[in-house]
Amino acid sequence: MDGLTKTFGPVRAVDGLSFTVEPGSITGFLGPNGAGKTTTLRMLLGLVTPDAGSATISGRPYADLTAPCDEVGAVLEATGFHPARSGRAHLSVYCRINGYLRRRADEVLELVGLTGAGRRPVGSYSLGMRQRLALAAALLGDPPVLVLDEPANGLDPEGIAWLRGLLRDLAGRGRTVLVSSHVLSEVQQIVDRVVIVNNGRLVRHGSLVELSAEHATVLVRTPQVARLRAALERTGARTVGVGGESVRVTGMDAAEVGDRAFAAGVRLHALVSEGSDLEQVFLSLTAQSGAEQGAA
Amino acid sequence: MARLIAGEFEKVFSIRLWLWLLLGSAGLTALYASLTIVNADNPDTWVYPLSTGAGQRTLFSVGQGAGSLVAVLGAIGITAEFRHRTATATFLATPRRSRVVTAKLVTFPLLGVAYGLVCVVVTVAIALPWLAAMDIDVSLSANGIPGTLAGVVTASALFGLLGVGVGALLRDQVGAVVVLLVYLFVAEPILTRVEAFSAWTPYLPGPAASALTQVSLTNQDFLVPWQGGLVLAGYGLALALAGARLTIRRDIA
Repeated sequence: MDGLTKTFGPVRAVDGLSFTVEPGSITGFLGPNGAGKTTTLRMLLGLVTPDAGSATISGRPYADLTAPCDEVGAVLEATGFHPARSGRAHLSVYCRINGYLRRRADEVLELVGLTGAGRRPVGSYSLGMRQRLALAAALLGDPPVLVLDEPANGLDPEGIAWLRGLLRDLAGRGRTVLVSSHVLSEVQQIVDRVVIVNNGRLVRHGSLVELSAEHATVLVRTPQVARLRAALERTGARTVGVGGESVRVTGMDAAEVGDRAFAAGVRLHALVSEGSDLEQVFLSLTAQSGAEQGAA
Repeated sequence: MARLIAGEFEKVFSIRLWLWLLLGSAGLTALYASLTIVNADNPDTWVYPLSTGAGQRTLFSVGQGAGSLVAVLGAIGITAEFRHRTATATFLATPRRSRVVTAKLVTFPLLGVAYGLVCVVVTVAIALPWLAAMDIDVSLSANGIPGTLAGVVTASALFGLLGVGVGALLRDQVGAVVVLLVYLFVAEPILTRVEAFSAWTPYLPGPAASALTQVSLTNQDFLVPWQGGLVLAGYGLALALAGARLTIRRDIA
């Protein structure tokens, strides 16, 4: 995505958004509802025309792909089905259009666990079943790239676990997956990288490990709180007193905190690496930029 | 393109609408054929005696009534993509949207041919035994009847084109069907009866279809068959082109 911008009436849904998805990774595309995720993905897939900027897949706009379903599988919404058409017939139409064998429809139905419901009209499907059918359609061409917009919507916890397993399996086979969600915890266990957007703008882009390390905290207990905080803050760490003799440190790992304390002659009674609460990080990142946007 | 058209056929046949509309067309044709035969002896009606060529052509043209339902099928065929949001999947598979419109412009006229042929068979199946029972001698190869039957099939095909065109331009399913039916069954019959418009009414879709069968129930003027065919095809293609340019390329959000 390069400088993507789209305005709907007075609302700038996507505002100069640029990022790249690493091949062979699972990238979480995160942001609160209304952040512009769906519009961005629809621009990537040629369904919505950007006002400015461009989006390419392997260097080409989606519309220029010669066999798009062989190259990109997309799950955009669980509502794009004719209610009177059976799930199998829906897939069968796209087998025809793409020149796949009809058998492929049955294969993907089985892959998503809809074999028994394949011949029923989609109108009788639950939201979770439609989501599975949308996924089946995306997998028809066994594409190297998958674009999934909130694929967990409507799935029960068991379905979400199943989806995670499926995506992990696909990534294990070298597929590139871009999966959007407004809930970090939904995808936290499977994504390698995250792209966080808010109000149509990029907030963060990087690996989950980086993000996690950056926001990891260390809890320290010392009788010399003031001296420790001064020593740590001189070297760029952020500290927050958490009552009595405890301090929470951000931006420095436990070993470094210990070394700095030692160098400053501060006695430590406890030193605990707490990791990071990514959900909290995600919320603060998106809330923060929301405030900036409001002030601008 | 062949795969796209095959996909369009599969879309049509995976939903039963095509069957109901075909039964409707066949039923209407049977009704019109029966009414024509029953009324032919009544000097107050518009039907020429069935012993004459004109009367026989009228009888064998009744399948033309199926055209309106083929148009409805075509209009629903394209607007359903938007109503049921299958346009997303359709345009993901075929990002060049004009190709989708083109595939439908081939599919629905072909379905129109099939509908037309069924209606011709229904007409013949009712007319031949009935006329024989009335001791009226009729030959399917005489009195311009072959041309009329070919006109029924051609008109039916071109109404499929018209339906796709109206649907492509309006995108809204209810709107497209209402516009088609109100035009064909209300507006056009009124327009063609207004004396002041008689110079250009032959260029309307219905009279253009009459030109194909060389039969009109309202005694209005009509063009020669090839002109009528071109006019009717022109409406469908012009509307579809306008739709592809104006509405089909809009964002699928």
